Amino acid sequence: MNASATRGGVTTYNGELALLMSLTPAIAVAVRVIDALWMAAGVVAVLLLSRACMSLIVRAGNPGTQKDASPPQGRFFSALIVSSVLTASFEILLMSADPEASASLGIYAPLIAVNFLVLSMTRAVDSGTSMGRELADALGRGIGFAACLILIAILREVLGAGTMTLFPVGQFSGVIAVPGLIDDPARALGLAGGGLICLGYLAALVRLARKRRLASGTAGESSKDGPR
Amino acid sequence: MEPARLVLSSAPHLGMRSSSARMAWLVAAGLAPAAAWGIFLFGVPAAIVLCVSVGAALLAELLSSFFLKKLTITDGSAFLTGLLVGLFMSPSTPLYVPAAASAFAILVVKQSFGGLGRNWMNPAMGGVLFALLSWPGSTSRWTGAFAARNAAALPPLVALRQALPSPTGGAPLSVLAASGYRWSDLDARVIAWINTHVFAGLGTALQPGTFDMLIGRTPGPIGALSVPLLLVGAAFLLRRKIIRWRVPVFFLSAFFFLTLALGGIASGGSWLSGGPGFHLFAGSIVLGALFAASDPVTSPLSSRGQIIFGISLGVLAFVMRFFGSLGDGVAVAIVLGNCVVPLIDSRFDGRATALSRGRRE
Repeated sequence: MNASATRGGVTTYNGELALLMSLTPAIAVAVRVIDALWMAAGVVAVLLLSRACMSLIVRAGNPGTQKDASPPQGRFFSALIVSSVLTASFEILLMSADPEASASLGIYAPLIAVNFLVLSMTRAVDSGTSMGRELADALGRGIGFAACLILIAILREVLGAGTMTLFPVGQFSGVIAVPGLIDDPARALGLAGGGLICLGYLAALVRLARKRRLASGTAGESSKDGPR
Repeated sequence: MEPARLVLSSAPHLGMRSSSARMAWLVAAGLAPAAAWGIFLFGVPAAIVLCVSVGAALLAELLSSFFLKKLTITDGSAFLTGLLVGLFMSPSTPLYVPAAASAFAILVVKQSFGGLGRNWMNPAMGGVLFALLSWPGSTSRWTGAFAARNAAALPPLVALRQALPSPTGGAPLSVLAASGYRWSDLDARVIAWINTHVFAGLGTALQPGTFDMLIGRTPGPIGALSVPLLLVGAAFLLRRKIIRWRVPVFFLSAFFFLTLALGGIASGGSWLSGGPGFHLFAGSIVLGALFAASDPVTSPLSSRGQIIFGISLGVLAFVMRFFGSLGDGVAVAIVLGNCVVPLIDSRFDGRATALSRGRRE
């Protein structure tokens, strides 16, 4: 049951590709792979911890019963406060761990709090679901968001800058130059419009895959092409 | 093929007797004189750039027809798009630039939106803009092919931009003269002859470079050099009612008057000193206005809509040329204009909106 919740978060409720939400990081941040990795890590961590906290808060008001303690209206604000605190902690950690990435994430690191709300709000937290299921769902959504962000960043950095920036290890500076592209990369893909183009094609691929799956599920009908 | 799909698929079928394939091939024929002049001036490099851009466009069309399960390579639109992309390129650009621009034009701008007739942006202009944004250095590389055949290594517009703001200011040709821009020997002889035999008596004189600018013996994008040859091709198409006259006429008029009034101020001079003639002949504005802006798929359907579209393009092209950094601003102006075409159509053509409403059902 929990595994299916995770899978649902990656596919059906994928914020970027299925629901077209929370797009700004994909456009603004996913220009260097390392930035996308940090952003993805931040979002996954904040999602998991916030959902865990929210699950506890919802339950805490009325221990032992399955009845909701806090009114749903108040839940939005408690979620906002919880995720803001966690986001601020992530920001401080990032600043000390990788100041350069922190600088290039800029405003998008604090905005993880907003991403959390957007990525979670399609599913209201209620005390009826178990903590495990909550976490499984959060993990799914986080992984879906992270995979999409990293994929877009790889596409854009390789094609748009001819490099791939990862963590520096020892002698290795962390920057891989892609032969053939490093001399004169297609810089348009590094711009905001390039991010939208990559996102559009990924979303189209996801939709195509889903359509194929639905079509194969109802095999025998003439739904090969479907409506255009 | 289902008849319903044919009727509703694309705008040019409205009130048009000829097929869209015939139109595309005729437009390509209309571009032929200007293309031939470009190849004549710059020789093999220009021909290679054109071949690469057309070849890449055809290849991309072939590739995409596997996905769309519909062979569209014979409708001529891919050939035309590739040709237009090539004509906007410098003959000394590295060959991957026209190839990528053509492929982008076909795969992303046209086929991803459903193929010919469903693209909201002119494919060729989308491809050119992609190249301008991606390779700002390579698309404005003017050395090599030019050095052998031309006195000047830079297109007049680029040279003018580099010369400005010059202390002399004034009309574009005098700024160029002051900056030591070199015109051809033929130009010097012709202008000297006209000045001594015609204008000496009138107490005035032609600026050096006028002849070169008029016939298009200047460096520049392959297809944009000779304005008279572009007009010949366009006249042929206008006679056969293939391009709509309103878009290019209002585009170029708006650009002309804005440049006349404000172009001088934008480049550090005074009112009414913009040298609109120079700006019409320099850069790719006439090529873009006649052959890209008038594309029936991406321009409004109604006459009033076309007039508004043309004027907006003129304003955008003026702003982009004098204040922008993307080439001479023609491609970006047309692409921006394309974005508002549905808006113009929804306001000025009841028939178009009724059709699109019907199509949604």
